[in-house]
Amino acid sequence: MSPLSAPVLGQYVPGDSILHRLDPRTKIVVIFVYMLIVFLANNGITYGLLIVTTSVGVFLSGVPILMILRGLKPVFILIAFTACLHLFFTKGGEVLFSMGPITIEEKGVMQAGWISLRFMLLVVTGMLLTLTTSSIDLTDGMERLLTPLRRVGVPAHELALMMSISLRFIPTLWEETNKIMKAQQARGADFESGSIFKRLKSFIPVLIPLFVSAFRRAEELALAMEARGYRGGQGRTRLRKLTFTGNDSIAFILLFLLVIGLIGLRSQ
Amino acid sequence: MKRDRLITMMEIAIMAGIGGVLSYYVALRLWPQGGSASLAMVPIVILAFRRGWVAGVVCGLLVGLINLMISPYITHPIQVVLDYPLPYALLGLAGWFRPVDEKGAISIKRMGLGVTIAGLARLIPHFISGVVWFGSYAPEGWPVVLYSLCYNASYLVIDVLVTIILMSYLLKKAPQLVASR
Repeated sequence: MSPLSAPVLGQYVPGDSILHRLDPRTKIVVIFVYMLIVFLANNGITYGLLIVTTSVGVFLSGVPILMILRGLKPVFILIAFTACLHLFFTKGGEVLFSMGPITIEEKGVMQAGWISLRFMLLVVTGMLLTLTTSSIDLTDGMERLLTPLRRVGVPAHELALMMSISLRFIPTLWEETNKIMKAQQARGADFESGSIFKRLKSFIPVLIPLFVSAFRRAEELALAMEARGYRGGQGRTRLRKLTFTGNDSIAFILLFLLVIGLIGLRSQ
Repeated sequence: MKRDRLITMMEIAIMAGIGGVLSYYVALRLWPQGGSASLAMVPIVILAFRRGWVAGVVCGLLVGLINLMISPYITHPIQVVLDYPLPYALLGLAGWFRPVDEKGAISIKRMGLGVTIAGLARLIPHFISGVVWFGSYAPEGWPVVLYSLCYNASYLVIDVLVTIILMSYLLKKAPQLVASR
């Protein structure tokens, strides 16, 4: 294992498309519902409808298609694997191909096709959310969506605060990890050879300074927050306020129409 | 707001950040479906030992959500919850088995027990997720339960062993990490 070069940035692609400008709450809710209703589709027309809406989503996001395809790469193996399972093991309908004990039947081909399609739709939609929403916006959106749960004791504000701090510090911690690894390598540490035990043991001189400085940093942060008068979520104001716009209403209306369309057009 | 509580909150946040970073230092790649041994369990377990299981659970929850935001592979709406926030959150249960007593004596056995129990707890949602996933994608008659159990256990066993080995070195060399003041 070598010190990593790429910083952790997540998948977010900054931009100013309609999808980028939607309220994160809208995006989270719409995409969650969309993922549920993908399972309603069971024939050509309903899958067609979903393909059209997902493609429109990708188009509106302004994210280069190539980037989405690259993100899909690790999932292709999984899709191919499930497709093969169905191709060979789902039986029924006309026999299309047979060689010795292997037969491929009509129903298997259909299932393999539908399931790969459903899979791609789900993965692409999930990616659209993280491609067009920064992790800080996602956190804000989740905090607001969880706020009603405060009544039952879910500390939405505290969770969101910790989440934002985590995300804020990931690049810093990343750099620090690399720095410590390089410093230890300069002293002769070797992370890449030897038995598994030896390799794991070589991480200890990296982990200890990392954790010690993390706990020190946590204490400094708490001190800095107290010095600035932080006393919990009650009555705290925010720099950026989330607001619903006309586009958000349109997104919800379109989602509603899609649900009706899918229920009406699916075969019973 | 109590000072201890604020410090604990900040420790949770920073340790979750380390968890997010360590998720990328993949020690061994195992399966195409994304199972891999990583060091991400270590910070969650340390925090659970240091500040108790609630802090551990919250820290795990955050690590799961960070992973979800950074590299989401969503194949089923239920799978999202079962594969990202929940299993990591359950790792915090290691906090039930604090390996350091009041006198500062360290018990590697208790640590091993805590990590093993946490690993088993983490297996449950991954296992259910596998059953749900294969239930909706695999052909009928496929031994869904067995497959999910074997697949998920295969990489979790390695994760747990890696964590136990690293933790026993850490406890020996830097016991102050798990001793909260």
